[in-house]
Formats: sequence, structure tokens, C-alpha cells
Amino acid sequence: MTAPMIETERLRLRPPVAADLEAYLTFIMSDRATHVGREKSRFSGWKCFAAEAGHWMLHGYGPWAVTMKGSDATVGQVGVWHPEQFPERELGWLVWEEAEGQGIAHEAATAARDYDYRVHGTQTLVSYIAKDNARSIRLAERLGAQLDPDAAPLDPGGLVYRHPGPEAVQ
Amino acid sequence: MTPPVIETERLLLRALGEQDFAPLAAFYASDRAKFVGGPMDSESTWRMLATEIGHWALRGYGRFGVEEKATGATVGLVGPWNPEGWPEPEIGWDLMNGFEGKGYATEAGRAALAYSYNTLGWPTAISLVADGNYGSAAVALRLGARQDGTYTHVRWGPMTVYRHPGPEDL
Repeated sequence: MTAPMIETERLRLRPPVAADLEAYLTFIMSDRATHVGREKSRFSGWKCFAAEAGHWMLHGYGPWAVTMKGSDATVGQVGVWHPEQFPERELGWLVWEEAEGQGIAHEAATAARDYDYRVHGTQTLVSYIAKDNARSIRLAERLGAQLDPDAAPLDPGGLVYRHPGPEAVQ
Repeated sequence: MTPPVIETERLLLRALGEQDFAPLAAFYASDRAKFVGGPMDSESTWRMLATEIGHWALRGYGRFGVEEKATGATVGLVGPWNPEGWPEPEIGWDLMNGFEGKGYATEAGRAALAYSYNTLGWPTAISLVADGNYGSAAVALRLGARQDGTYTHVRWGPMTVYRHPGPEDL
């Protein structure tokens, strides 16, 4: 399946499409992607972008493209992600540089988390965050997530933030 | 874009899915995958499978899972392939472990070439074969392709370009 459309107060979450590629590559090949796996070439970045579309087909959920209402240009990506060998289902977010500081990731991640709890009946979600990614740690905390020292990390030394469950946020 | 189903004498070319992961992981973990980006671990193979499926979403075409009609087994990954930065669209084939020597890559490759010409409207098609991959070169020759220069892949090194007979010659 492809991604359904979700609207929040200011945002529209829609399926990622080919036209979103350049903005994604600009991000994923930049220093801003250091904490989430920077890609060195357009070829490898394209493969990651394509894999996100494929994730929807394989799992029935995945990352949405995030746009501001009134414009179809992406400002980031948010969604639920569970590739092979991720210990758990993850709520993840990326925000392009020019869209930072407006609470976009918070608004989009809240909507994606609610959707996953309501539609898929997910009982728990984590976010895997590098320990020096202060912005993402602050966002996880604003979303009500708490450090879970007992959960398996994605990478050695990485942090796992566990989100409040469905009963706590609905 | 939902991939069509193409039937040949012994094979079905159909959409890739979760059921193809195990045979793909076995192939990509093996030394046989050394000419096509392997060997790789199962996490990388899962992402690769997601990328192959996402290729359909981004390009409107992509490679098929090839199924043996008699058994339902996944025997290959074959079809049109054109990721970011590719020199031109190609017909690619990977044969899963245990299904070599039956002519399956040739049978599926022929069907994929016809699909690319007749349905996608390609005016020409190539296949890239890594230096030393004699099995793959033999498939290209059986399909009537001839050497047409070289290409150096960003990760896989030097490859030979085989150009297939055009649509009017099939």
C-alpha cells in the first residue's frame, strides 16, 4: 500500500513521490544528516529514498513526506520505520534546514504516532537517537518520550527513547 | 504503480514482496553475489528489497520477482532497472542460489526485454556485467546482446556494457 494522507493544523503528510528526491538528497548528503546516516553519493541517497517507498509496500506503514498546507514542497519526513534488524518499531523524523524551529517535527510526529496507535493498534514506539543529537533528544522529550536504558539500542552507545503508549496520548 | 504479471513457459514475473526476502538474503549473503554488490548482511538485503520495490513507485517500472511456476519458488530478480546516476536504463538479472543452469535468467530476461520495449516504449536497452561475471555475460550473449563499451560503477568497479537487439530486431 502507499501512504494515506493526514492533515494537521498546519501540515499535510502525504506519500513520498519522485519530485521530493532533490530536497531529500540535499538533506541526506549534508552535515545535518550526520546523526541519521549521511549518504556520500546521489546513488546511495536515491537507494535510501526508494527504500522508504518500498517500506510502505512491505509493511503497510512507513515515512510520510511532510509539507506545509498550501505548498507541495516537502519540509521534512516523519513516520514509522521498522526495517529488518531494527529491534523495535521506530517513530522517526527529519526536518530540512530551512524549516527548522517552527515545531513542524513535533506536529508531524504527534500525528504519525496517533495514526500508528489508532490505525495499526501499535502498543509501543521508540525513537533511536544518537547521544549527541541534542535537537532530537529535546523533541523526543517534548513528545513525552523517556529514555529507556533497558531497551536494545540501534547502534552501540545510541539512545532509545520510549514514547507514551496509546492510552496516555489519546 | 502495481507491477503486472508476465507469464513465460516456466516462469511468472510478478511484484516483489515479503516472500522474496529469504531467498534474496540467502543469495546476497553468498559469494555468488560478489558481482552485484554482495556479499551483504540480511539488514542490507532487506533495504535492497525495499529499494527494488520503491523503484517501481519512483520510476513506474522496476525489477520483478521471478517465480518458478511448478513450485512457486523465487528463482530470480529480473527486469528493467534505472537507479539514480545509471548510464542508461538496463535489464538486470540476479539468479537465486540453486536455480543456475536451467536457462531461467535467459527466459526471464527475454520477457523483461519485451516488456521494456513493448510496454515501456524503450528504444534501446543495455545490461551491465561486472568484469569476471562470466555467467551473466553468457546470459547477455544468449539474449543476442553485444559488447558496447565499458562503464565504471561507483561501488562495483569496471563493468562491460552489453547492448541488446533493438525493438525492431526482436
